[in-house]
Amino acid sequence: MRAAALRYRVMAYITGVLIIVVCFVGIPLQVAAHNTIISNDVATVHGFLYIVYIIVAYILARKLKMRVGPTVLLLLAGTVPIMTFFVERWMQRKYIGPALAAESATPPQQQPVSR
Amino acid sequence: METPDSTPPAQAEAETYLTGQVVPKASGSDQAEFDAPEADDDTTQAPSGPVWRFLYQPRWIAWHLLVFAAFWGMLWLGDWQYHRAMGGNGLSWAYTFEWPLFAGFAVVFWIRTIKDEFQQRRGGVTEADLLAAAMEQARATLPSGAMLPNGALPEGILVRMLEQQDAEEDDPELASYNAYLAKLNAEVKGHNKWLRELHS
Repeated sequence: MRAAALRYRVMAYITGVLIIVVCFVGIPLQVAAHNTIISNDVATVHGFLYIVYIIVAYILARKLKMRVGPTVLLLLAGTVPIMTFFVERWMQRKYIGPALAAESATPPQQQPVSR
Repeated sequence: METPDSTPPAQAEAETYLTGQVVPKASGSDQAEFDAPEADDDTTQAPSGPVWRFLYQPRWIAWHLLVFAAFWGMLWLGDWQYHRAMGGNGLSWAYTFEWPLFAGFAVVFWIRTIKDEFQQRRGGVTEADLLAAAMEQARATLPSGAMLPNGALPEGILVRMLEQQDAEEDDPELASYNAYLAKLNAEVKGHNKWLRELHS
Protein backbone atom coordinates (compact mmCIF):
# COMPACT_ATOMS: atom_id res chain seq x y z
CA MET A 1 0.00 0.00 0.00
CA ARG A 2 2.71 2.42 0.99
CA ALA A 3 4.66 1.62 -2.16
CA ALA A 4 1.60 1.90 -4.38
CA ALA A 5 0.73 5.25 -2.84
CA LEU A 6 4.27 6.49 -3.34
CA ARG A 7 4.28 5.39 -6.97
CA TYR A 8 1.01 7.17 -7.52
CA ARG A 9 2.19 10.38 -5.89
CA VAL A 10 5.41 10.46 -7.87
CA MET A 11 3.54 9.97 -11.12
CA ALA A 12 0.92 12.53 -10.11
CA TYR A 13 3.55 15.18 -9.56
CA ILE A 14 5.38 14.36 -12.77
CA THR A 15 2.30 14.41 -14.97
CA GLY A 16 0.93 17.42 -13.09
CA VAL A 17 4.06 19.43 -13.69
CA LEU A 18 4.30 18.36 -17.32
CA ILE A 19 0.73 19.27 -18.15
CA ILE A 20 1.24 22.68 -16.59
CA VAL A 21 4.39 23.20 -18.64
CA VAL A 22 2.53 22.21 -21.78
CA CYS A 23 -0.51 24.39 -21.15
CA PHE A 24 1.05 27.48 -19.62
CA VAL A 25 4.41 27.57 -21.35
CA GLY A 26 4.21 25.44 -24.47
CA ILE A 27 0.88 26.57 -25.88
CA PRO A 28 1.53 30.32 -25.38
CA LEU A 29 4.92 29.91 -27.01
CA GLN A 30 3.33 28.10 -29.90
CA VAL A 31 0.61 30.69 -30.36
CA ALA A 32 2.67 33.80 -29.72
CA ALA A 33 6.10 32.87 -31.04
CA HIS A 34 5.27 29.88 -33.26
CA ASN A 35 7.82 27.94 -31.31
CA THR A 36 6.52 24.39 -31.08
CA ILE A 37 9.47 22.79 -29.33
CA ILE A 38 7.97 22.73 -25.86
CA SER A 39 4.43 22.03 -26.86
CA ASN A 40 5.45 19.13 -29.09
CA ASP A 41 8.15 17.42 -27.10
CA VAL A 42 6.78 17.90 -23.63
CA ALA A 43 3.29 17.00 -24.78
CA THR A 44 4.57 13.73 -26.19
CA VAL A 45 6.45 12.95 -23.01
CA HIS A 46 3.35 13.77 -21.02
CA GLY A 47 1.36 11.49 -23.29
CA PHE A 48 3.58 8.54 -22.54
CA LEU A 49 3.93 9.22 -18.86
CA TYR A 50 0.19 9.60 -18.59
CA ILE A 51 -0.10 5.94 -19.58
CA VAL A 52 2.14 5.07 -16.65
CA TYR A 53 0.10 7.39 -14.46
CA ILE A 54 -3.13 5.64 -15.41
CA ILE A 55 -1.72 2.20 -14.62
CA VAL A 56 -0.22 3.27 -11.31
CA ALA A 57 -3.32 5.20 -10.27
CA TYR A 58 -5.62 2.36 -11.22
CA ILE A 59 -3.63 -0.13 -9.18
CA LEU A 60 -3.84 2.21 -6.21
CA ALA A 61 -7.58 2.66 -6.72
CA ARG A 62 -8.05 -1.10 -6.65
CA LYS A 63 -6.04 -1.43 -3.47
CA LEU A 64 -7.98 1.35 -1.79
CA LYS A 65 -11.25 -0.18 -3.04
CA MET A 66 -12.30 3.13 -4.48
CA ARG A 67 -15.60 3.37 -6.23
CA VAL A 68 -16.16 4.08 -9.89
CA GLY A 69 -16.71 7.83 -9.62
CA PRO A 70 -13.62 8.67 -7.59
CA THR A 71 -11.59 6.27 -9.74
CA VAL A 72 -12.61 7.99 -12.95
CA LEU A 73 -11.88 11.35 -11.40
CA LEU A 74 -8.49 10.10 -10.29
CA LEU A 75 -7.61 8.79 -13.74
CA LEU A 76 -8.76 11.92 -15.56
CA ALA A 77 -6.90 14.16 -13.14
CA GLY A 78 -3.69 13.51 -15.04
CA THR A 79 -5.00 15.41 -18.05
CA VAL A 80 -6.38 18.56 -16.44
CA PRO A 81 -3.86 21.28 -15.56
CA ILE A 82 -3.56 22.09 -11.85
CA MET A 83 -6.35 19.66 -10.97
CA THR A 84 -3.76 16.90 -10.71
CA PHE A 85 -2.42 18.48 -7.54
CA PHE A 86 -5.83 19.03 -6.00
CA VAL A 87 -6.76 15.44 -6.66
CA GLU A 88 -3.47 14.29 -5.19
CA ARG A 89 -4.18 16.24 -1.98
CA TRP A 90 -7.72 14.89 -1.94
CA MET A 91 -6.48 11.33 -2.41
CA GLN A 92 -4.01 11.80 0.38
CA ARG A 93 -6.57 13.18 2.77
CA LYS A 94 -9.46 10.94 1.94
CA TYR A 95 -7.96 7.58 1.01
CA ILE A 96 -4.22 7.21 1.38
CA GLY A 97 -3.89 8.81 4.79
CA PRO A 98 -6.65 6.78 6.44
CA ALA A 99 -5.45 3.56 4.81
CA LEU A 100 -1.89 4.06 6.02
CA ALA A 101 -3.13 5.03 9.47
CA ALA A 102 -5.16 1.83 9.59
CA GLU A 103 -2.07 -0.15 8.66
CA SER A 104 0.14 1.34 11.31
CA ALA A 105 -2.56 1.03 13.97
CA THR A 106 -1.48 -2.57 14.57
CA PRO A 107 0.21 -3.11 17.91
CA PRO A 108 3.86 -4.05 17.49
CA GLN A 109 3.70 -7.68 18.66
CA GLN A 110 1.17 -8.48 15.99
CA GLN A 111 3.36 -7.21 13.25
CA PRO A 112 6.09 -9.80 12.79
CA VAL A 113 7.59 -7.91 9.91
CA SER A 114 7.60 -4.19 9.61
CA ARG A 115 8.12 -2.75 6.26
CA MET B 1 -18.09 16.10 -13.37
CA GLU B 2 -20.98 13.88 -14.21
CA THR B 3 -20.32 10.22 -13.72
CA PRO B 4 -23.02 7.58 -13.60
CA ASP B 5 -22.64 7.22 -9.91
CA SER B 6 -23.34 10.82 -9.11
CA THR B 7 -26.89 10.36 -10.25
CA PRO B 8 -29.40 9.81 -7.48
CA PRO B 9 -30.48 6.24 -6.85
CA ALA B 10 -33.41 5.94 -9.16
CA GLN B 11 -33.64 2.30 -10.04
CA ALA B 12 -36.14 1.50 -7.34
CA GLU B 13 -38.98 2.86 -9.40
CA ALA B 14 -38.03 0.90 -12.47
CA GLU B 15 -37.61 -2.51 -10.91
CA THR B 16 -39.93 -4.59 -8.84
CA TYR B 17 -38.14 -6.26 -6.00
CA LEU B 18 -39.19 -9.12 -3.85
CA THR B 19 -38.29 -8.62 -0.26
CA GLY B 20 -35.30 -10.73 0.43
CA GLN B 21 -31.78 -10.84 1.53
CA VAL B 22 -30.27 -7.45 2.08
CA VAL B 23 -26.68 -7.26 0.98
CA PRO B 24 -24.84 -5.33 3.66
CA LYS B 25 -22.64 -2.41 2.99
CA ALA B 26 -19.28 -3.20 1.51
CA SER B 27 -16.34 -2.18 3.59
CA GLY B 28 -15.24 1.30 2.78
CA SER B 29 -18.57 2.21 1.28
CA ASP B 30 -19.06 5.05 3.70
CA GLN B 31 -17.34 7.26 1.15
CA ALA B 32 -20.55 8.86 0.27
CA GLU B 33 -20.25 11.75 -2.11
CA PHE B 34 -19.75 9.51 -5.08
CA ASP B 35 -22.21 6.69 -4.93
CA ALA B 36 -20.95 4.02 -7.26
CA PRO B 37 -23.35 1.83 -9.18
CA GLU B 38 -21.95 -1.33 -7.65
CA ALA B 39 -22.44 -0.39 -4.05
CA ASP B 40 -25.79 1.20 -3.50
CA ASP B 41 -26.54 -0.17 -0.11
CA ASP B 42 -30.19 0.52 0.53
CA THR B 43 -31.45 -0.65 -2.85
CA THR B 44 -29.29 -3.72 -3.40
CA GLN B 45 -31.83 -6.24 -2.30
CA ALA B 46 -31.77 -9.59 -3.97
CA PRO B 47 -33.91 -9.21 -7.08
CA SER B 48 -36.33 -11.87 -8.11
CA GLY B 49 -34.56 -12.76 -11.33
CA PRO B 50 -31.05 -13.90 -12.19
CA VAL B 51 -28.09 -12.01 -10.84
CA TRP B 52 -27.20 -10.30 -14.11
CA ARG B 53 -30.43 -8.31 -14.06
CA PHE B 54 -28.66 -5.48 -12.27
CA LEU B 55 -27.00 -4.78 -15.60
CA TYR B 56 -30.06 -3.04 -16.94
CA GLN B 57 -30.83 -0.94 -13.94
CA PRO B 58 -30.90 2.72 -15.03
CA ARG B 59 -27.63 3.70 -13.43
CA TRP B 60 -25.87 0.70 -14.89
CA ILE B 61 -27.28 1.48 -18.31
CA ALA B 62 -25.95 5.00 -17.89
CA TRP B 63 -22.56 3.52 -17.01
CA HIS B 64 -22.64 1.24 -20.09
CA LEU B 65 -23.52 4.17 -22.31
CA LEU B 66 -20.77 6.31 -20.85
CA VAL B 67 -18.18 3.58 -21.43
CA PHE B 68 -19.55 2.95 -24.91
CA ALA B 69 -19.28 6.64 -25.80
CA ALA B 70 -15.83 6.90 -24.26
CA PHE B 71 -14.63 3.81 -26.13
CA TRP B 72 -15.79 4.92 -29.56
CA GLY B 73 -14.83 8.51 -28.85
CA MET B 74 -11.28 7.50 -28.08
CA LEU B 75 -11.11 5.23 -31.10
CA TRP B 76 -12.33 8.13 -33.19
CA LEU B 77 -9.62 10.36 -31.74
CA GLY B 78 -7.07 7.68 -32.57
CA ASP B 79 -8.36 7.56 -36.12
CA TRP B 80 -8.16 11.33 -36.37
CA GLN B 81 -4.56 11.25 -35.16
CA TYR B 82 -3.84 8.49 -37.66
CA HIS B 83 -5.02 10.71 -40.49
CA ARG B 84 -2.98 13.59 -39.13
CA ALA B 85 0.04 11.30 -38.99
CA MET B 86 -0.52 10.18 -42.55
CA GLY B 87 -0.78 13.81 -43.49
CA GLY B 88 2.78 14.37 -42.39
CA ASN B 89 2.46 15.24 -38.72
CA GLY B 90 5.02 12.85 -37.29
CA LEU B 91 4.08 13.67 -33.75
CA SER B 92 0.65 12.19 -34.25
CA TRP B 93 2.02 8.67 -34.50
CA ALA B 94 2.36 8.53 -30.73
CA TYR B 95 -1.26 9.51 -30.23
CA THR B 96 -2.38 7.15 -32.96
CA PHE B 97 -1.37 4.29 -30.72
CA GLU B 98 -2.16 5.97 -27.45
CA TRP B 99 -5.86 6.59 -28.00
CA PRO B 100 -6.74 2.96 -28.79
CA LEU B 101 -4.78 1.99 -25.70
CA PHE B 102 -6.94 4.28 -23.59
CA ALA B 103 -10.05 2.94 -25.28
CA GLY B 104 -8.98 -0.57 -24.33
CA PHE B 105 -8.35 0.55 -20.81
CA ALA B 106 -11.88 1.93 -20.57
CA VAL B 107 -13.21 -1.50 -21.53
CA VAL B 108 -11.00 -3.24 -18.99
CA PHE B 109 -12.20 -0.85 -16.31
CA TRP B 110 -15.82 -1.44 -17.29
CA ILE B 111 -15.43 -5.21 -17.24
CA ARG B 112 -13.90 -5.11 -13.80
CA THR B 113 -16.72 -3.04 -12.35
CA ILE B 114 -19.16 -5.64 -13.64
CA LYS B 115 -17.09 -8.55 -12.36
CA ASP B 116 -16.83 -6.95 -8.95
CA GLU B 117 -20.57 -6.42 -8.84
CA PHE B 118 -21.25 -10.02 -9.85
CA GLN B 119 -18.91 -11.28 -7.21
CA GLN B 120 -20.59 -9.21 -4.55
CA ARG B 121 -24.12 -10.15 -5.55
CA ARG B 122 -23.48 -13.83 -6.16
CA GLY B 123 -21.96 -14.40 -2.79
CA GLY B 124 -24.41 -12.24 -0.94
CA VAL B 125 -21.53 -11.62 1.41
CA THR B 126 -19.22 -8.67 1.41
CA GLU B 127 -15.57 -8.35 2.17
CA ALA B 128 -16.49 -7.01 5.57
CA ASP B 129 -18.34 -10.25 6.36
CA LEU B 130 -15.42 -12.39 5.21
CA LEU B 131 -12.97 -10.37 7.23
CA ALA B 132 -15.21 -10.59 10.28
CA ALA B 133 -15.44 -14.36 9.88
CA ALA B 134 -11.68 -14.69 9.50
CA MET B 135 -11.19 -12.49 12.54
CA GLU B 136 -13.56 -14.60 14.55
CA GLN B 137 -11.72 -17.76 13.69
CA ALA B 138 -8.35 -16.22 14.39
CA ARG B 139 -9.55 -15.00 17.75
CA ALA B 140 -10.88 -18.40 18.70
CA THR B 141 -7.57 -20.13 18.03
CA LEU B 142 -5.11 -17.56 19.31
CA PRO B 143 -3.28 -18.36 22.53
CA SER B 144 -3.90 -15.96 25.36
CA GLY B 145 -1.41 -13.15 25.31
CA ALA B 146 -1.14 -12.95 21.56
CA MET B 147 -4.39 -11.12 21.26
CA LEU B 148 -5.87 -9.21 18.46
CA PRO B 149 -7.41 -5.98 19.60
CA ASN B 150 -11.01 -6.20 20.62
CA GLY B 151 -13.51 -4.61 18.34
CA ALA B 152 -12.62 -3.11 15.06
CA LEU B 153 -9.42 -4.14 13.41
CA PRO B 154 -8.87 -1.91 10.42
CA GLU B 155 -9.32 -3.53 7.12
CA GLY B 156 -6.30 -5.16 5.56
CA ILE B 157 -4.31 -5.69 8.71
CA LEU B 158 -5.19 -9.29 9.32
CA VAL B 159 -4.32 -10.31 5.83
CA ARG B 160 -1.08 -8.45 5.94
CA MET B 161 -0.10 -10.25 9.11
CA LEU B 162 -0.81 -13.59 7.52
CA GLU B 163 1.14 -12.85 4.42
CA GLN B 164 4.28 -11.38 5.87
CA GLN B 165 5.29 -14.43 7.77
CA ASP B 166 8.51 -15.53 6.16
CA ALA B 167 11.06 -12.83 6.94
CA GLU B 168 13.17 -12.28 10.06
CA GLU B 169 13.31 -15.90 11.09
CA ASP B 170 16.33 -15.43 13.36
CA ASP B 171 14.33 -14.45 16.42
CA PRO B 172 13.04 -17.74 17.89
CA GLU B 173 10.02 -16.18 19.50
CA LEU B 174 9.17 -14.37 16.33
CA ALA B 175 9.81 -17.50 14.30
CA SER B 176 7.38 -19.54 16.36
CA TYR B 177 4.82 -16.81 16.11
CA ASN B 178 5.32 -16.69 12.39
CA ALA B 179 4.99 -20.45 12.13
CA TYR B 180 1.77 -20.11 14.01
CA LEU B 181 0.60 -17.47 11.60
CA ALA B 182 1.54 -19.73 8.70
CA LYS B 183 -0.69 -22.42 10.16
CA LEU B 184 -3.50 -19.92 10.50
CA ASN B 185 -2.92 -18.83 6.97
CA ALA B 186 -3.17 -22.39 5.68
CA GLU B 187 -6.44 -22.79 7.52
CA VAL B 188 -7.91 -19.62 6.14
CA LYS B 189 -6.51 -20.08 2.69
CA GLY B 190 -9.50 -21.69 1.03
CA HIS B 191 -11.94 -19.13 2.28
CA ASN B 192 -12.06 -16.71 -0.52
CA LYS B 193 -10.00 -15.40 -3.32
CA TRP B 194 -9.97 -11.83 -2.15
CA LEU B 195 -8.45 -12.78 1.16
CA ARG B 196 -5.34 -13.92 -0.59
CA GLU B 197 -5.33 -11.16 -3.13
CA LEU B 198 -5.91 -8.35 -0.73
CA HIS B 199 -2.49 -7.32 0.35
CA SER B 200 -1.30 -3.88 1.00
